[in-house]
Amino acid sequence: MAIECLVLGAGQEIGKSCAVVTINGKRIMFDCGMHMGYDDHRRYPDFSLISKSRDFDNSLSCIIITHFHLDHVGALPFFTEVCGYSGPIYMTYPTKALSPLMLEDYRKVMVDRRGEEEQFTSDHIAECMKKVIAVDLKQTVQVDKDLQIRAYYAGHVLGAAMFYAKVGDTAMVYTGDYNMTPDRHLGAAQIDRLQLDLLITESTYATTIRDSKYAREREFLKAVHKCVAGGGKVLIPTFALGRAQELCILLDDYWERMNLRVPIYFSAGLTIQANMYYKMLISWTSQKVKETYATHNAFDFKNVRNFDRSLIDAPGPCVLFATPGMISGGFSLEVFKRWAPSEMNLVTLPGYCVAGTIGHKLMSGKPTKIDVDKNTQIDVRCQIHQLSFSPHTDAKGIMDLVKFLSPQHVILVHGEKPKMATLKDRIQSELGIQCYDPANNKSVHIPSTQYVKAGASDAFIQSCLNPNFKFLKSGSEENCDSGSESTKALSPLQISDERVAEGILVVEKSKRAKIVHQDELLLMLGEKEHKVQFAYCCPVSIEKLEKATTKDLTPETNALVLHKCSLIQILSTRLSSELSEGNIQDLGEHLQVESFQLSICLKDNCPYRKIGNLQYKSKAVFFCCTWSVADEKLAWKIISIMENFDQT
Amino acid sequence: MEQEILHKCEQTLSLSKPLSLQTLASVRSLIINPNTSNSTLSLILETLTCSLQLSLPDSITRHHTLKLLTDLSFHQPHLSPFIFDSLRSDDSLLSADSLAALASISDHNPNLALHIDDHFFVSLCFAPCVSVRLWLLRNAERFGVRSHLLFTVFLGFTKDPYPYVRRAALDGLLGLCKSGVLEDLDVIKACYCRAVELLRDMEDCVRLAAVRVVSGWGQMLVAYNQEMRGTNFSDAVFTQLSSMARDMSMEVRVEAFYALGKVAVVSEDILLQTLSKKVLGIFKDKKTHGQCVADCFEISASGAAGAFVHGLEDEFYEVRKSACSSLGLLSVLSEKFAGEALNFLVDMLNDDSVTVRLQALETMLLMANCEHLKVQEIHMHMFLGTLVDKNALVRSAARKILRSVKVPNVDFFKLFVDGLLENLKIYPQDEADIFSVLFYIGRNHGSFAVCIIREVSQEMEPDSDGKLGFDGARVAAFLVLAISAPLSSEQNVCSIQPRIFSYAVTLLGRISCALSDVMDQHSLLAYFSQCSRLSSFSDSDYKGEDSSLHEVNSYSINGTSTEISVQEIGDEVSKTWSWIQCNLKDVATSQARCQLEEEDEISNSMNIVLAKVKNIWPLVQSGYTKEVLESLRACKEEVLTFSTKSLGSDGALAFTLQYIQVVKLLVKVWEHFAPMKKFHYYEVGELELLLGKLDSRLADIRCRFIGLSKEEELHVLELVLVSCLLRLSKVEICCYLTTLKKLSSTISHVEFLHQQGSIEQSKFVTEVKNSLLEIGTSTFDASYKPFLFNQLLESFFLNQLLLSGRLRHIKAELDVPDNSTENPVTFVSGLPVAIPLEIALHNISSENRLWLRITMSEESTQFIFLDLNLIEGYSEFLKFTYIAPFYKTPKAVSFSLRVCIGMECLFEDVHFVKVHGGPKRMLAYLCHEKEVYLSMASKG
Repeated sequence: MAIECLVLGAGQEIGKSCAVVTINGKRIMFDCGMHMGYDDHRRYPDFSLISKSRDFDNSLSCIIITHFHLDHVGALPFFTEVCGYSGPIYMTYPTKALSPLMLEDYRKVMVDRRGEEEQFTSDHIAECMKKVIAVDLKQTVQVDKDLQIRAYYAGHVLGAAMFYAKVGDTAMVYTGDYNMTPDRHLGAAQIDRLQLDLLITESTYATTIRDSKYAREREFLKAVHKCVAGGGKVLIPTFALGRAQELCILLDDYWERMNLRVPIYFSAGLTIQANMYYKMLISWTSQKVKETYATHNAFDFKNVRNFDRSLIDAPGPCVLFATPGMISGGFSLEVFKRWAPSEMNLVTLPGYCVAGTIGHKLMSGKPTKIDVDKNTQIDVRCQIHQLSFSPHTDAKGIMDLVKFLSPQHVILVHGEKPKMATLKDRIQSELGIQCYDPANNKSVHIPSTQYVKAGASDAFIQSCLNPNFKFLKSGSEENCDSGSESTKALSPLQISDERVAEGILVVEKSKRAKIVHQDELLLMLGEKEHKVQFAYCCPVSIEKLEKATTKDLTPETNALVLHKCSLIQILSTRLSSELSEGNIQDLGEHLQVESFQLSICLKDNCPYRKIGNLQYKSKAVFFCCTWSVADEKLAWKIISIMENFDQT
Repeated sequence: MEQEILHKCEQTLSLSKPLSLQTLASVRSLIINPNTSNSTLSLILETLTCSLQLSLPDSITRHHTLKLLTDLSFHQPHLSPFIFDSLRSDDSLLSADSLAALASISDHNPNLALHIDDHFFVSLCFAPCVSVRLWLLRNAERFGVRSHLLFTVFLGFTKDPYPYVRRAALDGLLGLCKSGVLEDLDVIKACYCRAVELLRDMEDCVRLAAVRVVSGWGQMLVAYNQEMRGTNFSDAVFTQLSSMARDMSMEVRVEAFYALGKVAVVSEDILLQTLSKKVLGIFKDKKTHGQCVADCFEISASGAAGAFVHGLEDEFYEVRKSACSSLGLLSVLSEKFAGEALNFLVDMLNDDSVTVRLQALETMLLMANCEHLKVQEIHMHMFLGTLVDKNALVRSAARKILRSVKVPNVDFFKLFVDGLLENLKIYPQDEADIFSVLFYIGRNHGSFAVCIIREVSQEMEPDSDGKLGFDGARVAAFLVLAISAPLSSEQNVCSIQPRIFSYAVTLLGRISCALSDVMDQHSLLAYFSQCSRLSSFSDSDYKGEDSSLHEVNSYSINGTSTEISVQEIGDEVSKTWSWIQCNLKDVATSQARCQLEEEDEISNSMNIVLAKVKNIWPLVQSGYTKEVLESLRACKEEVLTFSTKSLGSDGALAFTLQYIQVVKLLVKVWEHFAPMKKFHYYEVGELELLLGKLDSRLADIRCRFIGLSKEEELHVLELVLVSCLLRLSKVEICCYLTTLKKLSSTISHVEFLHQQGSIEQSKFVTEVKNSLLEIGTSTFDASYKPFLFNQLLESFFLNQLLLSGRLRHIKAELDVPDNSTENPVTFVSGLPVAIPLEIALHNISSENRLWLRITMSEESTQFIFLDLNLIEGYSEFLKFTYIAPFYKTPKAVSFSLRVCIGMECLFEDVHFVKVHGGPKRMLAYLCHEKEVYLSMASKG
């Protein structure tokens, strides 16, 4: 069996996250987002690829939403209410609470401000949310008989989760967006070490390695402080949820410490409402906030006030949080138009802006004039501070997570194409894990683990109950040379558990697979044990033997009449002087070293004799040697001593 | 009732049936009832033991019976030996169940040691029951099983499929590492590698235990491999541990950071890598192996990358704290690393957790103590913030750092002082500590302090009404800063206006209270009076003023009010310190006088002896060495007859003894140079040996006594000069350049002291100085003239040394309890051995850097840094037990070590790095060497 992953969105791009994964026949849609950069059909994932007949209820087992950002949840009401999906949808409690806020806000912006035809109505949103089943962190949910899912904390924004899904023996994790370092209000992603076939991870910052966030915080505070001290206005365009709260905690703290009186404003009711949710969902925030929550709720901002539209042109410094984050429209654009022409003011930009938004234009070099639409052009004279506060993990974080989870395969989504390719190469070369970065509407097939159920024999179970470990010495003989190459020689002692090794898997035709203990096997098959024995007929130069004889034995003895035993004896003495290991036994007729046996070969045509050794024929005595596999190394050592008899 | 139950029991037993649970319950009621008679109890014991033999097949009854027996032994401790023996006696009955009962009995009665057969232990371990296996592994060490067997069992069970068994096995391995009984390199490697594998275990608790084992056995591996590629192994251990900094479990991360701090040697590159998330350039070229788990000895830079960055950013304060503390320990290893680490550390001062802030400050203090704290401008804002922290502990920790920090320029100095003043303004309760810190930093940076005082001198003057604003804390703070400047060891310190010292006298009580750890009230007053008077003569502007003639009213000493007046004393400029000290007797209160008197008595007697010593010099010059030595011995004996009653005066005694010793050595050396009366044969090298001894004695005398007056110090310094000259004038021994360097540095020190105290230079010093100037201008070859130095020596004359101040003697006592040739410490060759030392320290302050020197033979010496910060409590007398590890145990049946405590001589500027990781400066030894006897642990 295999996993098939169809990427409907966020393939080699950022926006409209949507991946449909088929595991062992179950189909799960992870995230259902919309692309903020487009106004046409490209805004939504191409759902027709899931099912030509548009019968989504039968082709999908469930939808899982990781967090409330529009590029992860934006297309959901459209899919359920317009396309007609009515199956289960899973998301965490905070996501369920905050998603309708986001969707409603977006709908209003689209319809009220841009006068577009609405894609879905408020009722659609409400209806859609009724189908949502909320889950808790680390709660295992049995979607149906075979499919179970579990949420893990992902940092990123309030309620963001990574999802683990398992069908049968195949398991995978979809990360959604996540953050591996904690920030002012959220913790770092946290997951168990799982056995995974597939990890689908975001890769927003596939090549960036960020330095410590403390320095960035300091710079941000410095820039804001400088601006308000000079009487300027600070515009902080943010998403209503998430970064706004983080920056607000930071500023509120700083204001407190520095005793500043400059007002901080929140633009819309949305943020105020969101703050209320934050206050309630303390258990989803960072350790710091949780610890201090009993004495002071970090989301009770002391210096923050509501903003009134009339205050846009009011004199004096202020700080304003406005949505949306990338100045793509809405209130932040309105304020930007008014404030951008003054040098005193400051606009901070989020770490990432989708191409096509004003935020993106500001980021790519400082323009002096910006065309908002066909008729409007703004002079941009204000200062621009780029906030690289991002709730996304950086490249190192992705690598750390992949390394920690060590899945069989990795699929990268939610990133820019060239950077993803770089990261893909890194994962493959450094971690040795197969990695893919499919484009939109492409699918990836990967093999998955498959377990076979097998019966076990009683004897095997019995032997498994008792621990049975062995110590192995390996590789200490080769690679004894010094230097870095001798890595193998450094790990000489290894432990292995013999319990499983003693089992033998027997698969017979049309029968269930069975594991038996190794001792049972022969009995079961009614066979006898076979052993492999090696043999070699080894020539030894007689001349040399003679010399040795005349030296070692009585001088008058002729070599030709030498008794077999004395030849063996000479060999024996020689071997014992040259061979460090093994116990050499002289048994008269033959010589034995461990399983190695040696005797004089009197046959003229010994089958084990090498024909190439003709030059020896006249002067050589042949010794027939046999040994078993275990002593192969030893045997060849002895034979080389014998063959080189005349060279020393 | 009793009888009834017993009867019932007997009946059942006689039928060879096991007791029913109900019967057992009633037996239990008998056991816990305090009124049950002894005879019944012993009957119960009998019955239960009987039943135990019967109830073999029925494990539940057996379990309950054993439980009852355990209960019985708890309630009737006198029965416990019997119960223990009866359970223990029959091996066939021994099971995991009864073992547990035995163990809990022996817990309550430590006399009953539980030992079981190795074979039995193994068979139980290998039984199918997992809970028994777990229990056995956890308690393995108490059964007296052979350690080699234990090791095999533990190592094997790290493969167990049950995570808790794996953890217990790892814990066991860690225990074995601590007890240190295994010696084979292969064994150590195998264990270490297995632990490294388990760092990737699925279970948190196993990974946690694995981190500990990797740390423990890794250290052993490094110690074992010290000769060959020690750093490589150490780096490998370090990177393995730092790769755990990104673990998902908080406990694992905390443990990993603590373990990182324990690694003793790491190469600088790896250290720097832990502060950068990007892989550094030098590592990029190196080949990276495919799988990260491939090799446990691989040094992987990517594993170490940014470990500390992550640690300091961690969500949990526990992790941040342990990362901070490890940073401190590691920053000792490399100055560059410390510098980089500081950039991260200052941000931790902004942490919301007080614990973390405190730890960060403590780490900075550690850096300052090893002179690795380089303050930069970007750090200042954060650092000064801590001085006004809401938390008093944080403020005090921040001030502690200021005491030992080196300030690069006057702007920083001003910032620090302003910070302290701000602190004083907001938190007046910190006054004493702030004054003390001001005094320290002023003393350390004399010229900067003078700059500041000049700027603010207006503030310190009386206003138009003639009233002095002395009561203002700010002015008081400046006064403290002012009085500290002249004590600075820097040169070119312009003198502070003498009026200021007289102002300071009015705040004597307040100041002396703050400076109690530096000097007592008397010396402080003396110092003020001296400075306010003496300088006034050097400064003609103030000559006419009667600034030195101040009536100072109502200041308190020891709570009582006394009236003193410091009278003007003509222009006897030369009479200084000692005179004031004498005069002080009159002004001291009776309580203080008593002690002073005794001290003075000793001082006086010592001075008499010292006068005798002085008298011998003409004899030395005319070559009566033998006679001189004899009279010196007599002097020494005379000194030894004084026994001291008060703690304060033993310093003077010790000083005199040491001084006599120095003179004795000097006389012996002199003999080699003086025109000979008789012709002597000397052994080759004898002179060098004597000179070496002389040098080390002089170093001792210079750094082991606190409270030396300028005269005393000068006297000693002159002797140092003589010793240098002696060296220089013998061609065959002198190491020309080093000695010359020492000579010139000593001279400049002497000069400085002269300026400070306005003491007239002796003829000898002047001559040496002049000739040194001559040499300094000429080149090496031309200048080397031994005879020149020889000539200089002739002008030397041993003056009388006058003891005046209250001397405190830095010394230590060292003992190894219960150690003798009969009762040696056991060791296993090749593994580290722990030596328990009882150490007592006198007059040690936190600035002193102490080292433990352990010598086995001439070649094999090991130094251990005694971190006083780790020892609770600070006082003049400190006593504690310290477990010193000795790593390179030889392959011998027994051997002995010599242990000694040494202190780094801070004045010694010549760095000599002899042993890697050892002291950087010369050591002055504070006690006699103590011999420790060790013998091989018998196997079995």
